[in-house]
Amino acid sequence: MRVSGLALRKSTRRAILIWAFLAPSLLIFLLYRILPLAWNVVLSFQAWSPMKPAVFIGLDNYQEMLFDDDVFWQALWNTFGIIASAPIGIAIALGLALLVDSNIRGRDVYRTIIFLSYPLMTVAVAIIWRWMFDERVGLINYVARAAHLVDKPIPFLNSFTWALPSVIAANIWQMLGFYMVIILSGLQTIPGNLYEAAGIDGANAFHRFIRITVPLLRPSLFLCFVIGMLNSVTSFDLVYVMTGGGPGRATEILVTYIYKLGFNQTRFDYAAAVTVTFFILLLGITFLANRLSGGNAGAVERD
Amino acid sequence: MDRRRVLKTGIAAATTLFAPAYLHAQSNKKLSILTWNIADQEALFKEEFADFKAANPGVEIEWLDKKGPDLPAFYQTQLVAGTAPDIVDLQGALWVEWAANGAILDLTPYFQADPEFAKLFNADYLSSWVYDKKNYLVPFYVSKTLLFYNKLMFNVAGLSAPPANFDDILKFSQAMAKDEKTGFITLNFDWLYWPLLKMNGIELLTPEMKKPAFNTPEAAAVVDRLAKATEAGAINKIAWTGRWVEPNGAFSSGTVGMMHAHSAAYFFVKGQGRWINRDSLGAVEMPGDWSTPTNHGFAISKSSKNPELAFALIKHMTSNKWATKFAGIRRVLTANIAADKALLAAVQEEDPLAHAVLQTQLAHTDKMTGNWPLPNDAQIKDAFWPELQNALLGRKDAKTALADAERAVARVLRRS
Amino acid sequence: MRQRRTWPVHAALTAVSAVMLLPFYWVLKTSISGENIFAYPPSIVPHGANPFYYIDVWYAIPFARYFANSVVVSAITIAANVVLNAMAGYALTQRFRGKKLVLLLFLSCMMIPFQATIIPAYLITGRLGLLDSYLGLSLPLFSTSICIFVYKASFDAVPRSLIDAARVDGLSQWTIIWRVMIPLARSATATNVILSFIWSWNNFMWPLIVTRSPDMQTLPLGLARFLSYQEDSTGALYAFCIMVLAPGLLLFLMAQKEFVQGLAAGATKG
Repeated sequence: MRVSGLALRKSTRRAILIWAFLAPSLLIFLLYRILPLAWNVVLSFQAWSPMKPAVFIGLDNYQEMLFDDDVFWQALWNTFGIIASAPIGIAIALGLALLVDSNIRGRDVYRTIIFLSYPLMTVAVAIIWRWMFDERVGLINYVARAAHLVDKPIPFLNSFTWALPSVIAANIWQMLGFYMVIILSGLQTIPGNLYEAAGIDGANAFHRFIRITVPLLRPSLFLCFVIGMLNSVTSFDLVYVMTGGGPGRATEILVTYIYKLGFNQTRFDYAAAVTVTFFILLLGITFLANRLSGGNAGAVERD
Repeated sequence: MDRRRVLKTGIAAATTLFAPAYLHAQSNKKLSILTWNIADQEALFKEEFADFKAANPGVEIEWLDKKGPDLPAFYQTQLVAGTAPDIVDLQGALWVEWAANGAILDLTPYFQADPEFAKLFNADYLSSWVYDKKNYLVPFYVSKTLLFYNKLMFNVAGLSAPPANFDDILKFSQAMAKDEKTGFITLNFDWLYWPLLKMNGIELLTPEMKKPAFNTPEAAAVVDRLAKATEAGAINKIAWTGRWVEPNGAFSSGTVGMMHAHSAAYFFVKGQGRWINRDSLGAVEMPGDWSTPTNHGFAISKSSKNPELAFALIKHMTSNKWATKFAGIRRVLTANIAADKALLAAVQEEDPLAHAVLQTQLAHTDKMTGNWPLPNDAQIKDAFWPELQNALLGRKDAKTALADAERAVARVLRRS
Repeated sequence: MRQRRTWPVHAALTAVSAVMLLPFYWVLKTSISGENIFAYPPSIVPHGANPFYYIDVWYAIPFARYFANSVVVSAITIAANVVLNAMAGYALTQRFRGKKLVLLLFLSCMMIPFQATIIPAYLITGRLGLLDSYLGLSLPLFSTSICIFVYKASFDAVPRSLIDAARVDGLSQWTIIWRVMIPLARSATATNVILSFIWSWNNFMWPLIVTRSPDMQTLPLGLARFLSYQEDSTGALYAFCIMVLAPGLLLFLMAQKEFVQGLAAGATKG
């Protein structure tokens, strides 16, 4: 075997380089994502608790989840509701990003302020919003009453109708800056001469937006949606601190349910079945989003 | 050395290098103790441990403390990994499940070995930790619910005495409700609201604890009245949605007439409410003298390598001497008879209000409710409470909600 | 034309800024006045402002130690993220067999809820012998899908012509990466630094599970510990929040410069 590095085919060398670049990240993902997922998959077909040996029980956990467990379905619908709200935040962020990206004075200040909510610890965000939404002493009701917008204070977090939208609003508040930064970094990659060319062609602002901005922003928007969706549906701290899943099950989402099943009820086996279902669900939605944004994670294939 | 051996030795060496200190020391006489949200007593615990170490040379003690919601997640992870702390401080009904599943040690033989030890404690509190005729915990500190009331608001509404029955609670609440003011609030975690139902003769389960017993027309009527009072603003909605800070914060802001809470709430409320003094705050037992305990006790993990030593440390920490000191500093009852007597005597002069609060904790210890030794307590709670919330907050009518709750609870009972 | 139209933009952005800042103001106000937030009506300006709550916090817990731990863990995380994610992000801009699979893998890894991985992750960290260590605290966050995609998007945006030109100039693959790609992806790097810092700094559940000795606690755990000390003093609680949050905000404001330069570079790139 006297094959030296130089003798290797160029494409093989490139492949080795690529995989070497990917290896460290893949290792981390293997340890802290793939293996735990595999653990969950195995566990979902078993009856197990920390003190008992595992027994294979086939699809019993899934059967219970799908046919007997109202809470699972409620949590599932709530999770869908949150996913559906991600585009609202993204649309607001897109608008803000376009405003901030224009040549106005003080745009750095605006951008900084809008992003400022993202670095906050979610627990702190939850504490403060829980108070803001309070029925009797919360700031929102105080302002609404002072301005005579409402006669009776709205019991945001204590109401079956308002609790979920309230949590979603707090979530959007926190994620807005994040979306905006992703979109801004996407806007930055759009070559300025494209706009100039379009300007010469006489396209108006709206056309420029639809024809140039949106298509070229597709990777960023896809990223925003996926991240936004994942961030929202896994916003465990926010829900846990703001409402604890209540009132009733009005704000129970799958992650809070998974956590409660595992650590409060010691039903890790059943929680694993819900986890696996949750995972497959998100994968399906992402696949769909990828399709809608044109494939390849939204990126435009250039070569 | 072949490659395999090199690899193995390398890994072993790396493991020793990186392994945390507490794993090395495991072979020694090493104890670890996990407490529940009581990091403020660091100085006292250090003193207690030093004293224990002086009497037992060569013993090392590792002390950990976690907040309530975090402790179960931490302890269970440690259980799976086989590194559970020797001693664990448990609150509420968590212990039953772990006792039933064999995570914690049956302490009955230890109690039997030293009959004098059990006599140190209030028998009612001690017996609230019996499951399957075995005793699993030693009392650390105890508290149960009582009724706090805002005398200023009572005066405004022309009320002179605390409520004597359930009707009074609702009537008084309505009388005090106005604008942002409400009449009644209760804590609701860990079945703390159950005295409201118990005083109306409602039971959660049948006596043999195999079937739900709460779905009755009487229960529906009671729940319905509570829901109507909530709708009318007589009962503060936080009663059914808040946890700890919100209800206590609301009551201490001076806008809620009565609060049903455990005695630990007193110090929170007193710290927050500027209106509170011995003339403005009342503390009595709930009508019917029913209360729900939220006790803390020490358990020993079954995986402990030194259970004898662990029990010795528990005995040390709950002895007359240290329990008295702990009760005095923390202003809590310990179920240690001597310590509690000393505490009550001490506060009688300096804080009559605290005295009144603590007094309720030692009265009617035979009328405790909501502390059923159910191995699947957490699951039953999770099945029952959201449905009750549905009814109390007016999303479902009481009858439907109780029927749904019955189905959910029955399902849990069937599964186990 | 342009000049006349700026005022609605300013109005809109000012309104949004106000909404974004309001909670901050309230936390700050409570942290210096210690007012009961359940009092009604809420007072708009703080009464009896004083810095005592901050001093309380400093003495109630070993703040400096926790702070140092948080800094070390975050520094390790940031360094690992920038290097690992840039490498992976670059690899993903190339064409190779199995790319779709890798993309899918990175994407799908975002969809596993952390709460469900606690126990296996703990067992694995234990096997690696990293419990209760800085490395164990930061390892799970070493590489994150989002940041990989941020790099990928940034590298994707580097014009092919520029790379081809560099190749014609005889630059090697490595030189192209270091001299052309990385500098152009400066805003992606800034994003990586900020995001990995935020995640690591605010991480609560993982440090809670994986640390045992008091010397290894991080600031968010300090928050929990602090709450158990004085649940009643809202003032001190909010003071603590500010002391925990300030470094994150500060870092963002500092990295912001890089970020702006990155944007400027993008605008003139053509």
